[in-house]
Amino acid sequence: MAQPQIITAPADSALIAAWQSGDEQAAAELVGRHARVLARYLAGAGAPDAEVDDLVQETFIRAFRSVDRFRGQCQFRTWLLTIGGNVLRDYGRRASRRKVLPLDDSLHDRRGDPHEHAVASEAEERLAAGLKVLPRLQREVFLLRAQQGLEYDEIASALATTPGAARVHYHHAVRRLKEIVE
Amino acid sequence: MNLHELAQRLGSSAAERLDVEAMQHRVLAALRETPVRRRTWIEEHLLRIAAAVVILVGGGLAVRQILPRHQDLAGGHTSHLVADDLSDLSTAELQDVLDHFDDMVGANTVVPDSSDLHQLDAQQLRTMLRSLEG
Repeated sequence: MAQPQIITAPADSALIAAWQSGDEQAAAELVGRHARVLARYLAGAGAPDAEVDDLVQETFIRAFRSVDRFRGQCQFRTWLLTIGGNVLRDYGRRASRRKVLPLDDSLHDRRGDPHEHAVASEAEERLAAGLKVLPRLQREVFLLRAQQGLEYDEIASALATTPGAARVHYHHAVRRLKEIVE
Repeated sequence: MNLHELAQRLGSSAAERLDVEAMQHRVLAALRETPVRRRTWIEEHLLRIAAAVVILVGGGLAVRQILPRHQDLAGGHTSHLVADDLSDLSTAELQDVLDHFDDMVGANTVVPDSSDLHQLDAQQLRTMLRSLEG
């Protein structure tokens, strides 16, 4: 009896190599794998709902253009999330220059589904509000740890810090967020 | 609900709303519009090369600034041979210069007896002048 053939999906590193040699489908596959995670991270970090798609797109483009600089120091997904953080920060700067309401007040787009807004718990709203007042590094470490479930080593590699420092940032963030949420 | 659970719920509605297939098309279209330009070795290392050149040139200039002072302190300077200025003199004029060489360079230099000089030609006289100048 023939053994069932197990087809394993290529690793991110293989897709990156394929993209570097001109394979567009490899880039599409990477987008497919990570777009939702990236959207969740950006929204959690304060991206306005109406801007999430554009910010996801910009993050991928920036990542693909600078993929030569990705040395495998962390997972591709983690590297992508840190680029997303930079894209979001740049967006915040542009928005403040244009005097458009920055991340804060447009965090939850009220034009969305009313049912969705009703479902969003008050605690979740408070957490989102609390994240906005955290220093950037604390916010990013908290999200990478609590939302994305990454280890401190991985977070440290992505944010160019030490695991010990990442742990400290996380605990500061948790302490402040607990005060706000509870 | 604890903080972790709340954090994991954050942004989930935005993620669900995202049209992944449309995003793939958008990203690929944007990449096609302005293709990624692969950087050559020289572009990647240009900054390092420029820094090395600046250091070398700067170092060279600094050494040039310092070295002449040392030479000055040691009394060193580019020597100028009087004999080089005598190339267009005739044999008789050269013999005359040698006759008065003591007066020109001081009494420490021994000039051969002038009677011997008359047997030398112009080239030999110039060679002698150079040797006397050191």
